[in-house]
Amino acid sequence: MASLPMLPDTAPFAAEQIAVLNKVMVATTPEQRSWLSGFLAGYQAATAAPQASPAAPPATRQPLSILFATESGNSEALAAKARLVATRLGFAARAIDMADATPEVMAKASNLLVIASTWGEGDPPQRAIDFYTGLMADAAPRFDGVRYAVLALGDRAYANFCETGRRFDERLAALGGARIADRIECDVDYETRAKAWIDGTLGTLQALLAEAADADPAEPGADVIHVDFARGPAEQAWTRSRPFEAEITERINLNSSRSTAETWHVELSLAGSGITYEPGDALGFVPTNDPALVDEVLTAAGLAGDATLHAALADRFDVTTLTRLQIAEFGRMTGDAALIELGADAARAAAFIEGRQVIDLLAAAPHRLTPEQLTGLLRPLPPRLYSIASSLRAVPEEAHLLIGAVRFETHGRARKGVASADVAERRRVGETMKVYLKPNSHFRLPADPATPIVMIGPGTGIAPFRAFVQDRDATGAAGRSWLFFGNRQYTHDFLYQLEWQDFLARGALSRLDVAFSRDQREKVYVQHRLWEQRRDLYAWMEDGAVVYVCGDANAMAKDVHATLARVIADQASVDAEAAQAYLDRMRRAGRYLRDVY
Amino acid sequence: MADEKKLSRNETIKEESRFLRGSIAEGLHRAETGALSEDDTQLTKFHGIYQQDDRDLRAERGRKKMEKAFSFMARLRIPGGTLTPAQWLALDDIAQERANGTIRLTTRQTVQFHGIIKTNLRPAIAAINRAMLDTVAACGDVNRNVIATSNPYERATHGAVVALARAVSLALLPKSRAYHEIWIGDELVAGGEEEDEPIYGRTYLPRKFKIAITVPPHNDVDVFAHDLGFIAIVEDGRIAGYNVTAGGGMGMTHGEPDTFPRTGDVLGFCAPDQVIAVAEQVVTTQRDFGDRADRKHARLKYTIERMGVDGFRAELERRLGFALAPARPFHLEGNGDRYGWREGDDGLAHYTLFVENGRIADTGTRRLLSGLRAIAGVHAGTFVLTCNQNLTIAQVAPDRRPAIDALLAEYGLDGDVTALRRHAMACVALPTCGLALAESERYLPSLVTELDAVMARLGLAEDAITLRMTGCPNGCARPYLAEIGLVGRGPGTYNLYLGAAFDGSRLNKLYMKDVSDAAIVAALTPLLEEYARDRESGERFGDFVIRRGHVQATVGGNRFHADLAPGLAA
Repeated sequence: MASLPMLPDTAPFAAEQIAVLNKVMVATTPEQRSWLSGFLAGYQAATAAPQASPAAPPATRQPLSILFATESGNSEALAAKARLVATRLGFAARAIDMADATPEVMAKASNLLVIASTWGEGDPPQRAIDFYTGLMADAAPRFDGVRYAVLALGDRAYANFCETGRRFDERLAALGGARIADRIECDVDYETRAKAWIDGTLGTLQALLAEAADADPAEPGADVIHVDFARGPAEQAWTRSRPFEAEITERINLNSSRSTAETWHVELSLAGSGITYEPGDALGFVPTNDPALVDEVLTAAGLAGDATLHAALADRFDVTTLTRLQIAEFGRMTGDAALIELGADAARAAAFIEGRQVIDLLAAAPHRLTPEQLTGLLRPLPPRLYSIASSLRAVPEEAHLLIGAVRFETHGRARKGVASADVAERRRVGETMKVYLKPNSHFRLPADPATPIVMIGPGTGIAPFRAFVQDRDATGAAGRSWLFFGNRQYTHDFLYQLEWQDFLARGALSRLDVAFSRDQREKVYVQHRLWEQRRDLYAWMEDGAVVYVCGDANAMAKDVHATLARVIADQASVDAEAAQAYLDRMRRAGRYLRDVY
Repeated sequence: MADEKKLSRNETIKEESRFLRGSIAEGLHRAETGALSEDDTQLTKFHGIYQQDDRDLRAERGRKKMEKAFSFMARLRIPGGTLTPAQWLALDDIAQERANGTIRLTTRQTVQFHGIIKTNLRPAIAAINRAMLDTVAACGDVNRNVIATSNPYERATHGAVVALARAVSLALLPKSRAYHEIWIGDELVAGGEEEDEPIYGRTYLPRKFKIAITVPPHNDVDVFAHDLGFIAIVEDGRIAGYNVTAGGGMGMTHGEPDTFPRTGDVLGFCAPDQVIAVAEQVVTTQRDFGDRADRKHARLKYTIERMGVDGFRAELERRLGFALAPARPFHLEGNGDRYGWREGDDGLAHYTLFVENGRIADTGTRRLLSGLRAIAGVHAGTFVLTCNQNLTIAQVAPDRRPAIDALLAEYGLDGDVTALRRHAMACVALPTCGLALAESERYLPSLVTELDAVMARLGLAEDAITLRMTGCPNGCARPYLAEIGLVGRGPGTYNLYLGAAFDGSRLNKLYMKDVSDAAIVAALTPLLEEYARDRESGERFGDFVIRRGHVQATVGGNRFHADLAPGLAA
């Protein structure tokens, strides 16, 4: 207890006030404490001097383009927040998806905020590839005089952290852009830092523009500022830091007891949450760590038996993901030269991190840590996103999730996915899961219910397609639908088999092809079925079908993409380049959509 | 006769099947289900294929949003039961790649694969075909695999009966091209092609039909258990002809005393060149006189009960255009196999390997599957399947014996097996057989272990007693011809039958009803004690229990349910 933040007895409060404050403080996260200190400082500033009213005399309303490159929706959400802040500051702000933008148009912007996430091993998000390619091309337009700043999102668990943002930043500078703030690189716990950076950067921009306006009061194109203190568009009520406690009403391992896999179908009650989602959306799930692993971590840090700390680690800290920064930090706090050296050597650190987690670091170099050192070393526990496998039109006030249990062994230790093992091993019907809505506006059913759809979703990738088909069944949509599903064994791993049979019988699903890789010696995957069905598949594409891909990003999505290109080349008798162009056109038209992870 | 009553549903399915096609080919392409349509599952039997499901998994399937764990059993047609080593290797491959990794030898001298999922069915059948084997008519309302005594040590007669088994099988094979269209050919021929089944007609037989050929004194085929039997009469080392038996069959239904197992009647004698004609006309007689309304009364045995043996023989002879000669004397000794090495009359040796319940798999140190694969790799002779679910490594030249012996030892296949276990047989039953009411193959081995302890204590370790178990009353392991028969009634519950003849010539009789599995050993122990103490020299257990009045002798199928002890009415 004494190890956690506490007001001293000497604090200028009554004893009972100190007790209440301490009770609150003890349960806070570093972000909350950081926010609180900022809030109190701001509150002090705002209440001390009455002169600084933003509702000053009319001034020009400055345009601001907030350009985002999103994969999982984080950049998009930040862009929306930035727009809100900018609007309040008096900008005429627009949030623009890179998928809908070209470098030529953006080069004409006066003020540009770029929010870019990095995907996989340093790649731009798929939706941003066209823009990225255009900007990097020799023929890219100049950005002379464009005031810009870049917010980069990434995950330190991957190589080439924030690579996409870094490259945007460097390229915009090379093309003549005027950087108004240093780039910020945010890890998975981006919210607090990103918000601070956005506030700061927009403040800087506002000051710059004010100077420019003083110098040239008649800057063309400027509007009159309409300062608006009213709230912007309602933000989602439930967030990762304030999730909804959804009751688990059903929980079934869909794989047979003979299966090598374990995929949990979980039904959650959204009653009372007000959460309304569309097929294609995801739920963020705030998991709890495996208590046994937390025990191991505490023991390795010489902190076994600290119940308060155990609870904090279980609920709030990432006790699995290992980063190079943590190696270096661990070295610094313990003075362990070997660790400092390892942390300083990128290649060796990467080799060490491969297949290892926090526990391996602590076990490899046993040191006694204080609770503050341990919590200081750990990153906040990130939520996990799961595509919703149901439609509210079929199951009102419910959301169904499909969660594949992740278990593997590396370096002699059994590992488990944090969230999936939480659901697979510890959650029970009647208990709750902490969730919040994560909209995925890029992965939606076509607006026209008559549009044919092709759904390619092996493994847990089938989740959003159950939502799609449920939805089309509930609304009686006339469009044809074709599902490609794959897994290991037909008999033991055919997820939702009886439901697909029912949907086929009712006509909600028009066609089904399946690929089970382990039923025969030669591996068969969904892309093999795509190729076998190439004549009909191409005909569907020509008929305007929207093609959806959901599931594994590394192998499956790449193989499916390559196969789709082959199908087009074969059926249209065109070369590979033209086939790729065909897919690019589909993607730009919103007819080739991927939700891969 | 049948036309007064409503035809059974199967008759309509056959009639409308376009000679066994139905919609099987279309059903194989439906991705959402691992099953075929119900009607098609009746038709696939004619192609040697049974749809089954894993009953161990039934309880969980619906909850997991999956249909039953369907798979298929494919039964081969191997008349006479001989295979080349290359064919064995091919079967091993198919088991590994397309089925459940095991090979099941059956009581009717053939091989079954279990656990073939629908998407693997065509590749499996095609691979069987590439090995110059097939599954045509291995099940269904047709003549099935023709079995023959496994006596390769008598080269001339064995060669003759295997050749005869093949010829009879071929003569009675359906002529429909459906099998090749569906399973082998890439192109499916659309309906409309004019076809005919000269022997069977459009609706084939009313029920299954089985033929066995035996060479006395062996009765390993249980010749009296089949619809039609041929008992070779060997004179001066040559087969002079065959006694013809008809009307045998095992299946019955619990609680329906007008269904019963039946031993075939000896009708007379025919020359070797008359065998095919006799077989064809017995089949056509059954085709025309068999009951097509009630499948439980459709076997030839009921037709003969109805027509009388003399009436049936008269109809047969009318169709043949000649009379059968009077039956000739013969002597049978037993229905078991002879294990280990046996010298043949041609200088070659033959090793009969005990295969518990016919299951070829690697279990513990006894690695049958791997061992037979290794032996097939070096063996220059043949493999002969026996009707007791065993396998003979046949035609081994003297200088090749050490190599075979070494492999038998290496794979743990040379160990001693007790006499009781060697004479025990079980059907497949759970989890794949849809008919099973109780365990059989998975339970019998442990029951034998318990009984062996009793036998050893009583000094009966070397005494052979036939013991057969089935999970239902349909009789795949021919339990009604065992000195101790156990027939499943429900989970963990069996009817206990005693008193069949060791040579397979007499059915047994119900001794105790609804015995729980835990009580079986206790029920048999006093009888075995009495047998050890009071038997006469050479007296078989089946004969002993009759002499001592524990059960009455069953003199014919229609007396199977009669002469029971008080309180045992079926």
